[in-house]
Amino acid sequence: MESLEQIKNRAELAARGAKIDIVVNPGPAQQSSLLIDNEHAAAVAQFLRNHPALTFDYCSNATGVDWLDRVIKKTTKVKTVVDGVEKEVDQTIEEKIPGYLEAVYHLYSMKHKHGPLIIRMRTANRTDGARLPSLTPIWRSAELQEREIFDLYGIHFEGHPDLRRILMWDEFVDHPMRKDYREPDDYEWEPTPHDDVLEKAKQHYTPRPQLDGAENVTAQPQ
Amino acid sequence: MTPNPYLFIVIFVAVALAFPLLPLGLAWLWRRFFQPPKPGVQKNAIYECGVESIGEAQIQFRSQYYLYAIIFLIFDVEAIFLVPFAVAFTGLPVGAFIAILVFLLLLIEGLVWAWGKGCLNWAR
Amino acid sequence: MSEGQIDEALRSELQRQGVWVTSMQELYNWGRKNSIWPLQFGLACCAIEMIATAASRYDIARFGGEIFRPSPRQADLMIVAGTVTKKMAPQIVRLYNQMPDPKYVISMGACAISGGPFKQGYNVLKGIDRYIPVDVYIPGCPPRPEALLHAFMELQRKIDSQKLTGAGKAEHLDAKQPSEFPVPAFGEHDLQPPANPDVYHPPVLERQS
Repeated sequence: MESLEQIKNRAELAARGAKIDIVVNPGPAQQSSLLIDNEHAAAVAQFLRNHPALTFDYCSNATGVDWLDRVIKKTTKVKTVVDGVEKEVDQTIEEKIPGYLEAVYHLYSMKHKHGPLIIRMRTANRTDGARLPSLTPIWRSAELQEREIFDLYGIHFEGHPDLRRILMWDEFVDHPMRKDYREPDDYEWEPTPHDDVLEKAKQHYTPRPQLDGAENVTAQPQ
Repeated sequence: MTPNPYLFIVIFVAVALAFPLLPLGLAWLWRRFFQPPKPGVQKNAIYECGVESIGEAQIQFRSQYYLYAIIFLIFDVEAIFLVPFAVAFTGLPVGAFIAILVFLLLLIEGLVWAWGKGCLNWAR
Repeated sequence: MSEGQIDEALRSELQRQGVWVTSMQELYNWGRKNSIWPLQFGLACCAIEMIATAASRYDIARFGGEIFRPSPRQADLMIVAGTVTKKMAPQIVRLYNQMPDPKYVISMGACAISGGPFKQGYNVLKGIDRYIPVDVYIPGCPPRPEALLHAFMELQRKIDSQKLTGAGKAEHLDAKQPSEFPVPAFGEHDLQPPANPDVYHPPVLERQS
């Protein structure tokens, strides 16, 4: 398989105006991926499937990722004049990155036996702008998985032939795989509480400092 | 003394009646004195696979089906005539052979006519 | 000696003389406990163990339970074998409602008892006993076929001890006891209601303080 840079350059040439970024994966897997802009996603996908040297004819997996709003702190050294003397002072800049939802597709080529090529698409935000173009017209195998992403993450795929919930019932309104999903509180006592179960238990039972230990009680503001 | 030959039939009928009626009567007595019936909307539901049924069970079928019934009937009658003909084929005179061929030809002509008219296409 | 009971000494004496005595209740329960027909349905991996129990090595036919019925109208026993998802729960309650009385439920495996490893999940019901009454619980993930046979024998013991008349008579003989239970509806966040308070009695945590 060609390198990601080569594929990126070719795809940008083939699909006019397409903007493709390489998302580097610093982890041990080192599976970097291509971030495709939503406007030209269909054209780029068409190119990846049809180009004779690439022929990614098999979409094995499509999944969603939820990215919450995050803040990145960057520390830079800035020269400032303090009391008439020039000094280097550490300056911290907080960069706010608004949250978005991502759809990730793993592509393989049955013909050339290479892959995976990982492509991503990002929504504008996590609420009303959670829309992406559907790749089901290009890879039919993405149909059920895009329905699953729609069900569990709430991304609306435009152009999908049959966008309904697939795992949860139709009356359900939440998206359970989002990171800010909170399940309905039907706590019942169980003998092996995990941390978050323990937190729920504290809301349902009055704390007992002498039996449970004082630190368990003081951790929760009453 | 030989028993009346119809006696066996009477015994047979009596046993045949008692065989289903006795358990049914026992079940009725059991229901009457021990186990009260508890019918319910879901218990008496028509469909029994755990899913709620949608719509009515009494739906209308299309009337186009009658064409197939008529054509089937024609060939059914043809088979009734053909089987005795085939059995007695070797002993028949030439006149009978020609007669059955004419009969077959008439039916085949009818089929060709029905086919050509589009009766065999499933009407939607 | 309570009503309807036979004196055991008299019975054994009679038996020695070649006279076999029984009561209506014993005959009724003996017949029922030896021909329990389970409902043929499995939900997850526990169903594989249920199949193994019905097959030749473990052979549930020795206890009269080999006739797995594909229709709830002909079944006496519901073996809830596997994870009950919230999407499946209304169907199971409806199947239970469609079974004729007397009917029994075996809750097989950790998932059917409490949700098991999926207890904290968003999609799994935390135990089928939230909606229908359960007679025997089998722990295990999944329980071995021997455990299912043990539960089956426990159920036979329970059937054998049920009374035909009197105050504590069996539920299906009591006109006041319900035979159907409300089916939960699909709600916006969870099943509605999340549990049937008439059936579900959660374990009470005893806290000494």
